[in-house]
Amino acid sequence: MLQVEGLTKRFGALIAVNDLSFHVEAGQVFGIAGPNGAGKSTLYNLITGNYSYEGKVVLDGRDISGMPPHRIARRGISRTFQIPEIFPSLTVEETVHVGSRFGSRGGVDVQHASEIIDVVGLGEELYQKTGALNLLGKKKLMIGAALATKPKILMLDEPMAGSNTTEILSLMELIKKINQDLGVTIIIIEHFMKVLTDLAQVLMIIESGTLVCSGKPAEVIQDERVVKSYLGDSYA
Amino acid sequence: MFFEIIDVFISGLINGSVYSLMAVGLTLVYGVTKAFNFAYGSFYVLGGYFAWLLLVRYGVPGGYLTVIVTAVPFFFVIGFLSEKILIAPLRRYGDWEMKVMMLTLGLSLFMDYSFQSVFGPRVKSIPSFTEDIFEFGDFVILHQDIAIFTVSICCMLGLRWVLNNTRIGMAVMATAQNPVGAQIVGIPKDFIYAATFAISTILAGMGGILLCQKNLINPMGGSDIMIKAWVITAFGGMGSIRGSLYAAFILGMLEAFVGWYFGMMYVQIATLTLLLVTLAVRPKGLLGRE
Repeated sequence: MLQVEGLTKRFGALIAVNDLSFHVEAGQVFGIAGPNGAGKSTLYNLITGNYSYEGKVVLDGRDISGMPPHRIARRGISRTFQIPEIFPSLTVEETVHVGSRFGSRGGVDVQHASEIIDVVGLGEELYQKTGALNLLGKKKLMIGAALATKPKILMLDEPMAGSNTTEILSLMELIKKINQDLGVTIIIIEHFMKVLTDLAQVLMIIESGTLVCSGKPAEVIQDERVVKSYLGDSYA
Repeated sequence: MFFEIIDVFISGLINGSVYSLMAVGLTLVYGVTKAFNFAYGSFYVLGGYFAWLLLVRYGVPGGYLTVIVTAVPFFFVIGFLSEKILIAPLRRYGDWEMKVMMLTLGLSLFMDYSFQSVFGPRVKSIPSFTEDIFEFGDFVILHQDIAIFTVSICCMLGLRWVLNNTRIGMAVMATAQNPVGAQIVGIPKDFIYAATFAISTILAGMGGILLCQKNLINPMGGSDIMIKAWVITAFGGMGSIRGSLYAAFILGMLEAFVGWYFGMMYVQIATLTLLLVTLAVRPKGLLGRE
C-alpha cells in the first residue's frame, strides 16, 4: 500500500533521515520506534509533504513524492501530531465537519462525520469548543478530524505521550477499532513498547535516521542492535 | 443643537462603517496569514482611481452599480496575484514576516508613484452616488451618506456570510486558527492565504470607491488611510474581526465628535491618544487574544 524508497532528508550538514526504505501493507498496524532525535517525526513530515526530500513515496502504486500536504491528505494519508493540533474556537462537530468537507470533494458527509464522532467517543461533547477539551479529548478529536477525511492510512505521532494508564488503554482500544472496524491502515510512532507490541504487526526501529531493524515486534525487541541502541540492557 | 449632534452622530456612523470595511480587510489578512500588508492604503487609492476611470474617464453605463459589480472580480484578481507572485515566495524564509513588511512597503511606494505618473499629481474627484438630500425640519442627511453606509454594511454582511457559510470561508477560519491542522484535513493553505489576501484587497478597493466620493482621490493618500486602518486594527486587537468592527465605529464616532467640538486639528491627537491609552491598559487591544 505505502512504499517508501531511499528517503533522505538533510538539514545542512545534519542527515535527519538517511536512505530509509520500507513498505506498509494494507490493513496493517505498522509501528515505528527509536530514541529521541532518531528522525521519526521528520519521517512523518516527509511522507505527508511538509518537507522536500530525496527518494520516493508511493501510495497504491501512485508516486506522491513532492505533493503538498493537503493533496496528500486528499490522496488518503492523514496524520496526527504529538501536540494535538485543532481549531480552538470550533466545536467538536464543526472540527470533524471541516475534515469531512476538505478531505474529499463535495460537501460534508454528515452521516460519516457522525459515525466518526461516535467511534472516537465524543458524542457527548458535540457542541463543546475544542479548546475546552482535556488532553485525551483533544487527541481523540484530532484523530476524529483525520478520520473524517476518509484516509487509507492514518499516521499517529506518539498518541500516548502525556497520558495516564487509563487514557493509554482507551486510546489503544480506539486505535484497534479504527484498524479493525474501519479498515484503516495505521502507522504509529510510540515510545511505549508495550503499546507497539500489543498493536503492531510490524515494528521498525530507526536511529539517527537510519534503519536499525524491522520485523515482528516480539522478534525486534529481542534484537541485539535494538537492545543496545534503544531499549537498553535492563529491558532485555 | 440636538440636530447638530444627530448630524455628527450620523457622520461618525458613516465614517465608522467605511473604516470597519478597511480595518476588517487588514485584520483578516493578519489573522489568517500573519502578514502585515503596508500596501493596503494603496489598494484603497486604486479603488478610487478604478471608480474614476469607469465613471469619469469612460462613463460606463450603469454608474456605480457597474463599478461595484466589476470591482469585486477586479480586486480579487489583483489581490490574488499580488499574494501569489510577491508574498508567497517569501514564506520559505525564516524571517518572512519582516520581508513581507518591507516588500509591501516597497509595493506601496511603487503603486503611489505609479498613480502619480499615470493619473498625474493632482487630486481627482468622482461623482456622488446621488446628489439628493433627505430633510426633516432642520435636520439634513445626504442620500450619498445613506448609500455609503448601506454598501459598507452590505459588504460586511457579505463577508460574514462568506466566512460562515461557504467552503472557502470555513477553510479561512480553520487556517486562521491552525494552519498546520488545516493542512492535515486537506485544506490548501497556500490557496487560502492568497484568497484571504484577495478578499482583503476587495475590501480596500471598495473602501476607496466609497470614501473617495467624500474625500478626493490623492495619489499619495494611501498612507493616511493605511495608518488609520492600522490604528483601528491595533485598537481592536490584532487578528480580531469583531474587535476591528468595534474599534472602527468607536474611532468613527470619536473623529466626528472631536472634529465637531474641538476642531479637525485635534482629531488625530484624540485618535492616537485613545490608541495609546487602550494599549497601555490592554496591550492586545480591545478583543485581541494572547
